Order: sequence, then C-alpha cells, then structure tokens
Amino acid sequence: METLTEIIKFINFSFSYSGSNALILKNINLSIEEGDFVLLVGPSGCGKSTLLRCINGLIPHLYSGVYEGEVIVDGELVKNKSVNELATKVGFVFQNPENQIFMFSVEKDIVFGLENIGLDRNEIDSRLEWVLHALGIEHLRYKPPYELSDGQKQRVAIAGVLAMKPKILILDEPTSLLDPRTALEFILLIKELNRKFGLTIIVVEHRIDLLTNVANRMIVLDKGEIIFNGCLKEVIKNKNLNLYGVNVPPVIALQNYLKDEGLIFNEFYLNVKDFSKEIKRRLIGID
Amino acid sequence: MFWLAEGLVYRRQESIIHSLDPRVKLIISLSLFLLSLFSSTIFEFIILLSAIFLLGVLSKVLRRMIKTITFSLTFVIMIFAINLLVGYDLIFSIIISLRFIAIISSSSIFFLTSSPDELDLVMRSLHLPYDLIFAFVTAVRFVPVILLDAVQIIDSQRSRGLEIEKGNIFKRIRNYIPVLIPLIVQSIIRSEELAEAMESRAYGFSKKRTSYYTLHFKRKDYFVLCLNLTLVVLFILLIHLFHL
Repeated sequence: METLTEIIKFINFSFSYSGSNALILKNINLSIEEGDFVLLVGPSGCGKSTLLRCINGLIPHLYSGVYEGEVIVDGELVKNKSVNELATKVGFVFQNPENQIFMFSVEKDIVFGLENIGLDRNEIDSRLEWVLHALGIEHLRYKPPYELSDGQKQRVAIAGVLAMKPKILILDEPTSLLDPRTALEFILLIKELNRKFGLTIIVVEHRIDLLTNVANRMIVLDKGEIIFNGCLKEVIKNKNLNLYGVNVPPVIALQNYLKDEGLIFNEFYLNVKDFSKEIKRRLIGID
Repeated sequence: MFWLAEGLVYRRQESIIHSLDPRVKLIISLSLFLLSLFSSTIFEFIILLSAIFLLGVLSKVLRRMIKTITFSLTFVIMIFAINLLVGYDLIFSIIISLRFIAIISSSSIFFLTSSPDELDLVMRSLHLPYDLIFAFVTAVRFVPVILLDAVQIIDSQRSRGLEIEKGNIFKRIRNYIPVLIPLIVQSIIRSEELAEAMESRAYGFSKKRTSYYTLHFKRKDYFVLCLNLTLVVLFILLIHLFHL
C-alpha cells in the first residue's frame, strides 16, 4: 500500500518581521503530503505570502524577524538550509513574471538556474528540452522577454523554476495578470504537472472557481491563523467562508442557499456542469 | 536623447560583420579605437575614418553610425572652438576634432553589431566575476521595462493635471519630480522582487557555476582576426617607419 509522505510540516510556528510587533503567523501547525494540490486563500495581509516564503527559506534567510517553532521541508529544517540550497526542492513562482525573467532569451533564462546549481552541459541540454516540451513553449525558445505575452511570460517563469526539478511548486497569485481564458489554461497546465510528475503544488489564488476542480486541499488563513484546513470539498462547503474574504463560487453559494431552503442534495457539486446534471435528474425524476 | 541611443543600440540585423565572433568584433573596434588615440596626422585619420566607414557599410549600420556622429557634432565644434581659443593652431584643432569622431565611431562599431547577449558571452569568456556580468545583463534587460514604467507614471500624473512641458527650464526640471519619485520607488520594489526570484533560482548556490554557453572561433573569425592584425601592423609601419 502506498504511504503518504509528509513533505512540508509546520510545528507550532510563529513569525513576525523585524521592526514590527505584530505576529504575521500565529502558532501554525500544518502538514502537506507529497503530491497534494493545495489552494491557499485568505484576505490580503493575512499572511499567505509570508507562509509561502517560510517554505522556500526566504524567511528567515532574506527577511529576518522573530522565528519560533519549526518548518520542515522534505525532511530538513528550513532554517538550517540556505535559500539557494532549497531552490532544488522548492520552486517558487511569483506574482509578476516580468521580475523573474532575467535573461535576454527564454532559453538563456531557463539555463540560468541550471548553471547556478553547477550542472554539466549534457544535463542542462536534456532538462532544457524536457521543460520546453512539458510546458509547450518550444516555439518561444529564442524569443526575448519583451516579445512575450503575459501568459507566455508566466509559462517561462514556471519553466525556469521547473527545470531545477523541485518536488514542491509554489505559486503566489499566478493568474492575477492573466485574462480569464489564459488563466484557466494556465491552471490546467499546473494540474497536468501535478498529475504527471507528482509535484506537490501550493497555489494562492483569489479566483477560487478556477481551482475548485483541480485542487484537493484547501487552507483558509486569516490574521495569521489557519481557520480551515482540509479536503477542498469539505472546506468549500463552509458557509462562513465569505467572512474571510473568500469569493465563494456561485454554484457553491447556490447549493448552500438551497440547503437552507430545505433542498438537500446527496452530494456537493463543485462545478456547474455536474450540478445542473443533478438538477435535471431530479426534475425529470419529479416529472 | 533617443537619437543618441540610436547610434549605440543594437538592432537585430544580418551582415558579414554581425556574424563574426563578438570577441573579434571587440578586437576590431578596440584596435581602431587605440589607433585613433595615438594617431596625430590628418592623413592617418583619413585612413582610419575610411576604414571605420567601410566597416559601417559592410555591417549595414553606416546610417546609424552617421546619426551618432551628427549628434556628437555639437561636441566636435565645441572641442574645435576651445582648442582654437586657447591658442592651438588650426591643424591641431582639426586633428583633435577628428580624433573625437574616430573614437566615437570606432566604438560604435562594436555596440551596433553585437547584441547584449553577445556582450554577455564576451564577458564570460574574459572570466569576469559572474556578479558583474549578471548586474550588466539585468541592467540592460530591464531598460525597456523601466522605460514602460516611466511612460505609465507620466501618463497617470498627466491625467491628474501635471503639466510636464510647461514653464522655463528650471520649472520643467522640477516638473519631473512627481515622475521620478514613483519611478524610483517602483524600481526599488522591483529590485526586491528580483532579489527574491534570484535567490529562489539558486543564484550563488555554488562557487563552481557552470557555463552552458561558450564561444568558439570559426575559420572566418581566425581569418578576420589575422587580417585585422596585418592591417594594424601595416598601418603602424607605414606611418612610423616611412613617415607618410
């Protein structure tokens, strides 16, 4: 039987930035298993970005502050590893892809990280081919960053990170600069990476409806504390979600409303298609 | 200001010169530069400038090279006038002015025919510290990005009633303060994000950073290099041995 391995673990973890008394994260206890696709939500300033930066070591190595408790990533204490050592375990894609592409061409940018970790030419070659293919950006290989669209830039940013073969991929509001269609394509691409390569994925996203069908875990953070944490299907049902600035997808809100009105469904449907099927079945059943 | 840049900024083009190894282009540019520095007769400058313009024609960048020279004419006239005024004779003043033109146009050969990418490779092949190369690459890479930021800030300040083009010269300079401050702040924020992204991409991971890209001389590079050396030696011999 396959056993689940914990890849990220927070133990009684608290953090505040230096120069500020306010705790940004309060007593966090959290464990994430390998292969999980986690949706992390919460209002602005709730500590999402801070939490993510604790996983790849930017906290405490780049940002100092009061650091209590432990963060363990892939069996090792984050505070004992440097950020660039962790870079081969944790890939971090930031909100603005523009600031993550350093080089004059897509290829050179992907190679940048691989050169940093000192890989030889053959290994760089094979990873380059692999990552270009995996993200479907072979045609962009020699393009300079200013010739790319936002969606393409975001793919290139992921490519640069993915080429390092991390076990965990963190995305901080990756679709905020993308139009709805490109955003959906992008999320499906991430799901593909999760499914194909068993990557553990953590996404911060305000457009929850994009992720209800792809994520399996959902964590709601507010004022530095974990409010809800569990299977996405269970967490998203919660009626109090909107109190935490979570934009509940209409199909979920409708089911909650109908439940209050006394209309009980056996299951909870995450997308319009499944829900309308169920309604149709019932209506025909009534007929 | 834009047309000063016009003469120094690389555009993707194809020519015999463009296709050379960037190190060869640097050596050609540098040898013309040094010869201009040490030449002291009008005859020498006529040869040097003809060579520079010939290279301009071969690399199809002559027009942009001339643009740069036209721009620098103000300085040339100033240099010429100052030399005359402080009491040097006409010939000497002309020579100094020609030297200035030769220096500018010879260095523009390299910059007009080599992409920033190639510059990066040249610096790598010179084994410069990677921190320095990286700083250069990102600086060039972010020029268009920051320019775009500036345009956006100007637009937004204009839409709030800022009249940039109004007033005398001092007023105009002061008008740029509401543009510069947000631009600097934005660039600082950007650089912070850049630092985070660099760290997350293992920048500085190991002392033994590998280099995927290396430059290789081709046959034509060797040929051009030899030709360049021969011409330089010939030039020096002709001038100094035979006092042409």
